[in-house]
Amino acid sequence: MSDRIQRSGAGRGGSGVVGAFVARDLRGDLMSAVLQIRDLTLGYRDLTLFHRLSMDIAAGTTLAVLGANGSGKSTFVKMLLGLMDPLSGSLIWPQGRPRDIGYLAQMTEFDRRFPIRVRDLAAMGAWRGFGYRTGLDAAARDRMAAALDEAGVLDIADRPLHMLSGGQLQRALFARVIMQDAPLILLDEPFAAVDQSTEAHLLSIIRRWRDEGRAVVLVVHDLSSVLDYCSHALLLGGQEATHGPVNDVLTPDRLVAQGYLSESQASWMFRGTHSTAEHANV
Amino acid sequence: MYDLIAEMWSFAFMRRAFVATTVLSASVAPVGAFLVLRRLSLAGEAMAHAITPGIVIGFVTAGLSVMSLLVGGLIAGVGVAILTAFLARRTILRSDASLASLYLIALAVGIFILSAAGSAVPLKSFLFGSILGIDDASMVLVGGVATVTLLAFAVLLRPLIVSTCDPVFFETQTRGPWLVDQGFMLLLVLNLLAAFKTLGTLMAVGLMILPATAARYWASTITGQLILGFLFALSSCWIGLTLSYLFPDTPSGPAIVLVAGGFFLFSAIFGPLGFGRRMRKPSVSKDIPIAQIQQEERAQ
Ligand SMILES: Nc1ncnc2c1ncn2[C@@H]1O[C@H](COP(=O)(O)OP(=O)(O)OP(=O)(O)O)[C@@H](O)[C@H]1O
Ligand SMILES: [Mg+2]
Repeated sequence: MSDRIQRSGAGRGGSGVVGAFVARDLRGDLMSAVLQIRDLTLGYRDLTLFHRLSMDIAAGTTLAVLGANGSGKSTFVKMLLGLMDPLSGSLIWPQGRPRDIGYLAQMTEFDRRFPIRVRDLAAMGAWRGFGYRTGLDAAARDRMAAALDEAGVLDIADRPLHMLSGGQLQRALFARVIMQDAPLILLDEPFAAVDQSTEAHLLSIIRRWRDEGRAVVLVVHDLSSVLDYCSHALLLGGQEATHGPVNDVLTPDRLVAQGYLSESQASWMFRGTHSTAEHANV
Repeated sequence: MYDLIAEMWSFAFMRRAFVATTVLSASVAPVGAFLVLRRLSLAGEAMAHAITPGIVIGFVTAGLSVMSLLVGGLIAGVGVAILTAFLARRTILRSDASLASLYLIALAVGIFILSAAGSAVPLKSFLFGSILGIDDASMVLVGGVATVTLLAFAVLLRPLIVSTCDPVFFETQTRGPWLVDQGFMLLLVLNLLAAFKTLGTLMAVGLMILPATAARYWASTITGQLILGFLFALSSCWIGLTLSYLFPDTPSGPAIVLVAGGFFLFSAIFGPLGFGRRMRKPSVSKDIPIAQIQQEERAQ
């Protein structure tokens, strides 16, 4: 299945069921950097969002990107995708830039009336692998059934997009990200329009990606999902970017200093504790 | 009636017209389908105006030949398409506004030259087409454009689908997303030029858009959209040509487009994605299937 992942490193072999072999293959590289960010300054022509950020995004980790509205989370993700250039600094891809980067946009400029079905949308994740005439081969079809099933849209796979609810569309888009089968996955506020049980479901998919050794970058607003699912955090705001393990970054002082929480919110949220360590079970 | 149709077939120019429009239908139908899907329905019209100065200049300098039509039209059309993309990328104007500005300038230039050139231009056939005008060279043009279009679609179809459905996703997938946009614009210009002799500048877009919008009321897949669009276009041409033969003073362009308009109205009323769905009983329940709920529980 994922010759892309195989090619991105040396001396890998094997094939097999969805997911399973990726995990075996990438284990060896676990914690090796997929991407090294060096001295990055990000912004627009007359607006600098933050200065000189250096950090690594390692395989098998989940990075939470947090910050108030307008702090630059989406801009950061777009820069990682190559949709825009940083003001200065560099991105280094030690294993080569992945041929595909999984991506879920914050607000898709998506045409809901476009005449395709859920399964076609999912197949789009692997569209470059198709021949000009032939559609999916048998292996890809199996992979797609698995992806649709995992995203929970197998039953509605033949529905046109304009008949989906917002949460169902989000699941279908997740199926597309699964089909992309990428070593680096960027999700910009994927839970903005979904209910609690869908969120839990989607988070379980994110956990699988992490366990398979993919790097996941997750823009979220909900601190509780960060504590449970993310190993590292990047906090944006106040022209600063703070990066590190979740417990080091998400302290009440930091969150207030970078404008993510007000004093009173912070003291309410962290009431009875002096650090977040007790809550975190990463 | 049947005598008239048999008589119609005995004329070489009518047989020519039928062959030309049949090939033309196969060519313009996919272009029209994607114009509609890409929300560029009005851009088709704008582009038809934008190529006028090229055609007029070609006519004035080199006479009414297929070559002058092709070269002049291509330069004007591609020029406007590239400038539009440039303005949309580099300035605040969206591509619809930049295209509108540019085509209006182009149209004014075209009419200015047309008037300055005097009465030499057969204005009516220029605007509305004429079946009599289909000479060998025009046949070659239509055939060539159709070949190029269908070959291009074989290559461009998937990228076009992805970039139309989710442009941002498409941009993350490829280095040159503009290639697909511009390639499609080039196909649009070529097809407008191919349709020019039979339908005229003003009516050419009608044969692209109306069959596609009519098909949109029935089809819920791309394949269905493309096939049905072609069938509507083809029937419009055949019926329209017959009508314009039966009523000798009617130009072929409007006749064909009027028939296409008839298909559109019919589809809007009876098509399942038009008003047609209202007439049926509500069928499939939109509730979340049981299996999906179970799956959610498994995931917990
Ligand atoms: N194209 C642009 N040109 C100039 N400034 C921009 C542009 N797009 C966004 N900005 C500015 O950059 C800042 C960061 O925007 P961004 O979309 O990255 O915020 P965000 O952190 O994702 O916010 P949200 O939580 O609302 O999604 C904002 O202040 C915004 O006004
Ligand atoms: Mg954002």
